[in-house]
Amino acid sequence: MASTFIQLLLSGAIAGSVYALLAIGLVLIHNGTGVVNFGFGDQLMVGVYFLVFAQQFLGFSLPLAILAAIVISGLLGLAIQGLVMTPLRNRPVLIPIVATIAIGAALREGTRAFMGPNPWPVPFLLSTSPYRIGDISIVPSDLAILGTAVVIMIFLYVFFEFTKYGQAILAACANPTGALIVGIPAGATTTGIWVLSSMLAAIAGIVIAPLTTLTPDIGLIAIKGFAAAVLGGFASLPGAVVGGILLGIIEALSGYYVSSAMKDIVSYAILVAVIVLLPTGLFNRASVRKV
Amino acid sequence: MVLMATKSAYASGATGVSNDKIKIGILGDLTGHAAHWGSGNLAGGTLAFEEINAAGGINGRMLEWISVDSESSAPKGIAGFKRLVDQEKVFAVFGPTSSAVGVPLLKTLTASDVPVFASAFSSPLFTNPPAKNIFRSGTLNDADQGRILADYVAGISKKRSVAIMRQSDEYGKTGATNVGNRLKEIGGVKFTEEQFNASDTDFTSQLLRIRDSDADVMVVYGYPAPSAIVMRQAKQLGLPAQIVGSTATASRTYAATVGKEAAGTRAMTMARFLPESDEEAVAKFRKAFEARFPDLARQTRPEGTDQLAYHGAKTLIEGLRLAGRDLTREKLISALEGLKDFETGIAGATTFGPDRREGNRSGYVIEIKDDLSRVVLPQAYSAI
Repeated sequence: MASTFIQLLLSGAIAGSVYALLAIGLVLIHNGTGVVNFGFGDQLMVGVYFLVFAQQFLGFSLPLAILAAIVISGLLGLAIQGLVMTPLRNRPVLIPIVATIAIGAALREGTRAFMGPNPWPVPFLLSTSPYRIGDISIVPSDLAILGTAVVIMIFLYVFFEFTKYGQAILAACANPTGALIVGIPAGATTTGIWVLSSMLAAIAGIVIAPLTTLTPDIGLIAIKGFAAAVLGGFASLPGAVVGGILLGIIEALSGYYVSSAMKDIVSYAILVAVIVLLPTGLFNRASVRKV
Repeated sequence: MVLMATKSAYASGATGVSNDKIKIGILGDLTGHAAHWGSGNLAGGTLAFEEINAAGGINGRMLEWISVDSESSAPKGIAGFKRLVDQEKVFAVFGPTSSAVGVPLLKTLTASDVPVFASAFSSPLFTNPPAKNIFRSGTLNDADQGRILADYVAGISKKRSVAIMRQSDEYGKTGATNVGNRLKEIGGVKFTEEQFNASDTDFTSQLLRIRDSDADVMVVYGYPAPSAIVMRQAKQLGLPAQIVGSTATASRTYAATVGKEAAGTRAMTMARFLPESDEEAVAKFRKAFEARFPDLARQTRPEGTDQLAYHGAKTLIEGLRLAGRDLTREKLISALEGLKDFETGIAGATTFGPDRREGNRSGYVIEIKDDLSRVVLPQAYSAI
């Protein structure tokens, strides 16, 4: 039925935009620092807990709690960069990557100890009551996720492609020494990236968590963000968004037309096929380093 | 790893028993994905043990206890149990608290003679086949729950058509298999099965397949977080089926987590009285729990799992009391075996026997009202 197909496309795109938001954060950190941040999902999680704490225990209004959560998440990113990543900056890249895993685990278990293991309700930003067009349901709160992913992607894309500061960050990441020679301070740009990506984690979490429910383990969905980022090429912001949405749609269609038990097998088989046939992903250009 | 320990000199006799003390090990997941159950086990056990000590102890002895975190990990659970038995020399163990730890731990447990009393998790393998030194009371195991759920949904399905939406792991598989097997026994009820991963965020494909079937009842057998999304999305997609969740969806905060779409959904539960109930014994427990554990109270606890742990600890205490002053592990096992319809007023009655190690085999159904408050429907369902 056409309506079923359209509903699957729509729902798949919504689920995919969750993956896309995660993928954007991963790509941002990777592009700006060269590090794959395995703790991104946990930063997302803790950002939402900041909101819940501010609202439920400090009595903040929702807009103020959101603002506080984003600001504190940015400060958390600053702390991660200053206390962990800066001392590790000259170590082999594997070391800071392992450090992100440790930071993620510490955030997760620290949150579990302080806020408990039970789910916390998180307020939806838009209505959960669906609009119906025939057999198709459109839920405003779900569209907020898709809209947020697209807006953030456009913002970051413009920032990196068309602003001097964005170009400076990419230059500093690609060649820190060369960037320093031309007056771009690599340390400041890296700090900026950590703060920005941490704030993005909070924003992503605030729109995702009402849908997924908030527990200390919510960050584990970042694995789908990794898959989306790989599909999109891992260095491309539009690729991250398209990769995420594509993954969501493939999951929805295979779950309905094949079987729910085979959903992941079909989805990841396609992902592997893309990696084999297009090793740089759907959107990434192969990089060439000239010596 | 070790949270609390007290030392005392132990007289000769049963391991972990002195003239004035009985040493109990509390084993549970205090960290990791299963921490919900482990923290409840520790809190419920602590409260019950402190209360009995305040009341003068058991047959002239006070309880002392040591807690070990199994970290939601089977190897940590095995190491933790061995530590309690070999190093801490406990008399009995209260726990473990999750299937992921309890089932792999079984061989180690049965190889020892230490009485083990669990109250939290639901794998039927823990008590079937029965092992001499292993007891469980409070929870409803997945075999019994599947059977009860099937009886319930077969009774309310006017179209004689049921959909089972289950998690893809062992928890969901065991529960759904038992629902399906019981529906086959009942006969005349057709059923379909769909599955999902615990970390999924979209369930449209499964729900549309269920919408395409003519099922008028949908059983959701999964953890709270994915089940909450399933229930919300089912309502948003206009699925007309009555939704009935497993006991995992019976938590106090569940309805608020789902949102207004939770109204009208139902779930299995073990206890006749919910933790927010004003029933005398439960209200007294809740007040004591909130006073003793303000940090947990801040998290809208006690939960049902805390309630079951308290009930389990009180049942263990009753076994220790019945075993008498001349306490041995054999006598405790024999005393627990003799319990019949033992009531704490907190959860279902406990009955053990020579070949029965599952104390509770009955359940109730919760319904969520339009204001998202919960009521327990009056009829009890038995798996026997």
